[in-house]
Amino acid sequence: MASKPVAGYGGVIILLVMKPRVDFEVNVEAEITPELAAKPFEEIKQFKVYYGNRLVPLEELFEIEKKGDDEILILEGDFSRVKWIGKSMEKGEVVIKGDIGAHCGAFMKGGKITVEGNADDWLGAEMEGGEIAVRGNTGNLVACPYWGNLKGMKGGRITVYGNAGNYIGEKMCGGEIEIRGDAGDFVGTEMKDGKITIHGNCGYVGGDMKGGEIFIGGSFEVVPAFIKTDDGFIGDVNVKGKGKVKALK
Amino acid sequence: MALQIKNGIVVDPKNGISGEKMDIFIKDGKIVEEVKKNCRVIDATGKLVVAGGIDLHAHIAGCKINTGRAMRPEEMRFVRRKSNGLRAAVGRTLLTSPAIGYEYAKMGYTTAVDPATPSLYVIHTHEELDSIPIIDKATLPLFGNWHQVMRYSADKDIEKLKSFVAWVLERTKGYGVKLVNPGGVEAWMYGGNVHTLDDAVPGFGVTPREIITSLIAAVEELNLPHSAHIHCNNLGMPGNYETTMETIKLAKGFENRDRQVLHVTHVQFNAYTGSSWRDIGSGAEEIAKLVNRIESVTIDMGQPIFGHATTMTADCPWQFELHKLAKAKWCNRDIELETGGGIVPYVYRAKNAVNSVQWATGLELGLLVDADKIAISTDYPNGGPFNSYPYIATLLMSKKFRDEEMKKAHPYIEKATSLPSIDAERTIEDIVKMTRVTPARVLGMKNKGHLGTGADGDVAVYDINPMDYNSSNFQAILKALKNPLYTIKSGEIVVKDGDVVSEVWGRTYWVDVRDKTTTELIERDLEEYFNYYTVNRENYGVEERWLQNPLRVMAG
Ligand SMILES: [Zn+2]
Repeated sequence: MASKPVAGYGGVIILLVMKPRVDFEVNVEAEITPELAAKPFEEIKQFKVYYGNRLVPLEELFEIEKKGDDEILILEGDFSRVKWIGKSMEKGEVVIKGDIGAHCGAFMKGGKITVEGNADDWLGAEMEGGEIAVRGNTGNLVACPYWGNLKGMKGGRITVYGNAGNYIGEKMCGGEIEIRGDAGDFVGTEMKDGKITIHGNCGYVGGDMKGGEIFIGGSFEVVPAFIKTDDGFIGDVNVKGKGKVKALK
Repeated sequence: MALQIKNGIVVDPKNGISGEKMDIFIKDGKIVEEVKKNCRVIDATGKLVVAGGIDLHAHIAGCKINTGRAMRPEEMRFVRRKSNGLRAAVGRTLLTSPAIGYEYAKMGYTTAVDPATPSLYVIHTHEELDSIPIIDKATLPLFGNWHQVMRYSADKDIEKLKSFVAWVLERTKGYGVKLVNPGGVEAWMYGGNVHTLDDAVPGFGVTPREIITSLIAAVEELNLPHSAHIHCNNLGMPGNYETTMETIKLAKGFENRDRQVLHVTHVQFNAYTGSSWRDIGSGAEEIAKLVNRIESVTIDMGQPIFGHATTMTADCPWQFELHKLAKAKWCNRDIELETGGGIVPYVYRAKNAVNSVQWATGLELGLLVDADKIAISTDYPNGGPFNSYPYIATLLMSKKFRDEEMKKAHPYIEKATSLPSIDAERTIEDIVKMTRVTPARVLGMKNKGHLGTGADGDVAVYDINPMDYNSSNFQAILKALKNPLYTIKSGEIVVKDGDVVSEVWGRTYWVDVRDKTTTELIERDLEEYFNYYTVNRENYGVEERWLQNPLRVMAG
């Protein structure tokens, strides 16, 4: 099917555009992936999401426009109360032209998510692959495991151009996280592998870290159980860890 | 309304009925001879009709399972049931209270006993028991490391011990006497453990042997419906079967006409030969021989199930070992002068040689011990979820199923256990004994585990004909046991075609034996005791009126 490029999106062919119809009074839990964009329009409109505790069709909450069959999802407007966008997605692309709610890109395996505004907590939680870029700030728990689970981010890449909150990359086992601004406390707690880069300042780093690398451009503090080396710190000795914390050059 | 279960094939071993076509009538919650009018009829033509199942050992309520739930949020992502008019039920191995009631009913069980409550926190246990729908329940307070118990045992003062047991059972609304690693949990308060029946407990000079025999003596003299119920010393350790055998032999000195004098629980965890994890093997054969020979002992399996589990026990020193072995998170708690508790998540892996030995050892016990001396259990949630009982029963009933499942296990079991060489297959009657008759007798619940007149109106109907089934068609057996056509609790249909259709509320059994002794004997000791406690005597325990549906049993 022939699709025309639409002005304003850098020549990207837009296939599904969603805009909130109302200011959401309660959270929307919308487990939507780019795959939805390739489905017949009627099916898309009837796709069920939770609005508070009510299951409603997508079209009740959003204005939907379909302009082709590529797996690309464009979200316009305020999505800050819309959770779980891009959950477990494997391919395709999501572009969020505003803020996005919690759990965006959780369990993601492939594809790309771009957030032009800010992202809420649990961005890329337990992510396995693919790429997430956030132009604004993110909340807490970026790439963390859900409570009780043993592994956080396993692969892929997250870039945040603004600041991030507390708990970045807890129990991380692979992949890369880059925060261009500052981060809060508890960066790379129980980290096993992978790489975290913070260009700005952050708080405590590396508690119970077993492996992997953390680079920090600004000020930071390591927990006392780290050993100073020529080019940074190694620890956490409490868990016989071999994690590295270094200044970003 | 009364209920008639029509034309079923009844297996009721206690009343000598082994596969007879007959009708069962229930009126006002009890089995009756016959009901002529106003009777709802269930057609059970050609189907197995048995009494409701009884679990005599499952940690279904109290601060342990609840702490487990709190420390394992990952457990709560497993949705078992959306509310659909009843209540939502979630949990993988640690179920929520509604899920516990529903899952028991869904396999035809109608009674379950929590086997270990710290008396100090018993109010919590009862709050949770009251939140479990459908089933009847009871709880056993922990005695084996209680300072008062060790003191009276050291003094050989059985009179005071009896008085203390009666006082505790009344205060806790408890049903019986549980011992967990007697003396060992106290030793753990100093970082140690006891390793034989004759090790002295630090600070008391008493030995596990003395604690066990003193408590058996007290229970027998009080004539409690349920005997002393013991989790042996050295649980989990290679070579521990010797300690278990010695413990079993302690029962020889006592006698009771109606039941055992010692119930040894989750014996699988206490049935290992060997001297290390490298040469661990099964001691099930020897233990089975001994149990079959000694009249006054019963056991339950403690069968581990490959997959997730959450271990929880008052046996703190063992939990510390397991935490180090499994490298898993853990929780440990000292419960003042009474007991302790520990929790460690665990996964039983078929590819792991030790886990496979455990799996095989449990099944050996299930196959080798007389059906009227052993009950099916997983020591829920220690060995895995209790709703795997149909799976366990099918393994015991079908050699073919065992062979299939053995292929998944580690080949080390071929030299470390006798399971591969056991060809025996349990009959349906055996399974009915191991899940109904035996646990009812062990617990001293005379109205349970059978379908005679006056018994509780708790019945399960399964889609299998006991006179005509093929043990090699294990899929059919498993499916039938997992999905009862009906589960009936106190005359109400609570499960139909494997799904919960309505909710009733069971009773909480507790034992009152205050008239067999007098609290005066220990009055001064109690005054002294409460000087060292975080609660006042007036605030200790629970009142009967606080329980939703208590059933007080006066001992005979
Ligand atoms: Zn137990």
